Amino acid sequence: MGLFNLTKTGIAVVLSAQLVLATTAVTMAQAEMLGTDAAISKYTQHQDRAFLMEELQRDDVQSEMVRLGVDPAEAEARLAALTDAEVASIMVQMEKDNAGADIVGTLFTIFVILLVTDILCLTRIFNFTRCVR
Amino acid sequence: MPDADLQLYPLRALILILALGWLTACAAPFDPDERLTVDVPTRASVPGVPLIQQEAFYCGPTSVAMVMQWSGHDVTQADIAALAFSPGAGGTYLADMIGSARRKGQLAVEINSFDGLLGEVNAGHPVIVFQNLGLGIAPVWHYGVVTGYDLQKDEVYLNSGQLDQMVMPFALFERTWRRGDFWGLVVLPPDDLPATAPETAILNAAAALERVEQYHAAETLYETGSARWPENWLWQFGLGNARYGQGDLRGARRALLRARAIAPDIPEIRANLNHVQDLM
Repeated sequence: MGLFNLTKTGIAVVLSAQLVLATTAVTMAQAEMLGTDAAISKYTQHQDRAFLMEELQRDDVQSEMVRLGVDPAEAEARLAALTDAEVASIMVQMEKDNAGADIVGTLFTIFVILLVTDILCLTRIFNFTRCVR
Repeated sequence: MPDADLQLYPLRALILILALGWLTACAAPFDPDERLTVDVPTRASVPGVPLIQQEAFYCGPTSVAMVMQWSGHDVTQADIAALAFSPGAGGTYLADMIGSARRKGQLAVEINSFDGLLGEVNAGHPVIVFQNLGLGIAPVWHYGVVTGYDLQKDEVYLNSGQLDQMVMPFALFERTWRRGDFWGLVVLPPDDLPATAPETAILNAAAALERVEQYHAAETLYETGSARWPENWLWQFGLGNARYGQGDLRGARRALLRARAIAPDIPEIRANLNHVQDLM
């Protein structure tokens, strides 16, 4: 009985603590402005991923991938599996390689490197590719 | 000390090899077609960048001061050094170059290619560059300001901490800059946008101005950015936050309402709008 009471008290303490914490969290969110920094990193990376995904859908990009033996569906699956930071590093790489002059060429370089040469362990450009050898 | 003598020989050999490498590198001319992916005019220059004689080790602060004086600010190398210089290191770290410019209310964005460098100079913006003027084993790190170039004459013009302008052939400049990882910094007043930097980089630079509580500069930059990229709500969102930071609730509300008109579904806009309206 004593043990049962102790457990009940324990549960009550945990629950009320949780309630207090939850209330505080909500009040805190309302007590200050949400920062520009966080919004930028949250929403611009979404844009990056959406942008890459859209580019992958283009006919010229798709036919070029097929020509080089890269399965477009696999390319999409890989892109979807990348973290925001990895997507960002691809964007940086693309900006470095090519200042927006020829998107097919750049995308292509990136994905061929990503999908083929890195995975075959010929290159080590992206540190998140899994080398299969 | 015979030991010391012995040790000198491998070092000499190493220096000889490095010197040979240097000479070979000299032979490769700068090829604009290879180094540039955008078209730039044959020559360009930025008028009005002052030449300041740097004090010992102050090439970094001097570079920031030259660029800020060019844009009409009354700052000295000592003012910048107080914000940027690391006495223990006898120099100025890259991050402190950026930070000091922002703490002075400037828009500071990095560039890292010849596209960016020549593109900015063409747009009338001087660019701070990080160079290694020494050998690989004996680096002499240095900051200078590129104020012009002439592809035909094969010359890059720098204000480099001396009272005389420095003129470097492109190939030599390229080698010294490459060893600084092509690090360049555009420092501008917040109503003048870099010509080559991506939108996200400029947004982040504006948010950084908020972080150092340069709210007025941040406000100006968000306004300037919103005029160039009117379809992106983040500029209005930042503008709202920068005005809020200065206690301007009405102005913040106007900006956040505009943000909501551009992007009705973003929870962050609604949260901040509610918060501002609660205070009014």
